Amino acid sequence: MPMNEVVAHAERALAVFFGIIVFFVAAIALKNDWKARGVENQVFKMMLALLALGAILAILAAFNLLAGKGVEV
Amino acid sequence: MAVASVTQAGIIGGHHAEPDQLYVETRELRVQGFLLFMVSDLVLFSSFIFAYLYLRSSGQGWPPPGAPKLDLALAAINSVVLFGSGATMHFALENWKHEKFMKFAGWIVATICLGALFLSGQIIEYAKLAVGWGTSGIFGTAFFTLTGMHGFHVFCGIIYLTILLLQCVHGKYTFQKYTGLTLGTLYWHFVDVIWVVLFSIFYLL
Repeated sequence: MPMNEVVAHAERALAVFFGIIVFFVAAIALKNDWKARGVENQVFKMMLALLALGAILAILAAFNLLAGKGVEV
Repeated sequence: MAVASVTQAGIIGGHHAEPDQLYVETRELRVQGFLLFMVSDLVLFSSFIFAYLYLRSSGQGWPPPGAPKLDLALAAINSVVLFGSGATMHFALENWKHEKFMKFAGWIVATICLGALFLSGQIIEYAKLAVGWGTSGIFGTAFFTLTGMHGFHVFCGIIYLTILLLQCVHGKYTFQKYTGLTLGTLYWHFVDVIWVVLFSIFYLL
């Protein structure tokens, strides 16, 4: 297996592993802050939700389940 | 120190309000002002993103012939690094709220390191792409402008967080009054969220 493929596999594996961690951290933080009031907390909640979404997208990209037209898979 | 400065501001401004009331009033204003700044930044990114999407949809085909392929695996791990920095920043703020200074310092340093790691990943990707691009076209212009602008925001965020950490070390914030830290965390989450959009439009669409 060429070296660049080995590196790509390692990057994907790390992306999946840490992506899952980030997703759960964002989801738990969102759950804990759910009842918080104040305008900045509303923005926090929105951003944590988008962070969790971003982690899911990164995991799917690492599995090649989501790949755009101009990318190297 | 924060209490002293608020009291001093009250005397200089000629207000007779209690320091805590003054703090609450100015806190709301500062938060709202910062949110307005973020909205203006969002408009800036949105204009570039819509320009890119317009160019993309109005072209003959996408990606343009001769454009180099983007490295999805590198982008995925780089994205997770940046999203992870959002999580560490959240931990930093939570530890400050629970009056754990050392843990706060550890998490904010981790955030700064992850931000720097993300920028390193961007530089590696730029180096790879610059070889294939030669002269830049529409795709290259849009890609480098948007990701470069985002990278600049990350760079500014690293400086911002470093200043916040130094201010905390020097007692600028107390465990009761830490609006600057909250706003710094908001900024860092904003940078994360912008990357969710950029990652989606460049690598997943």
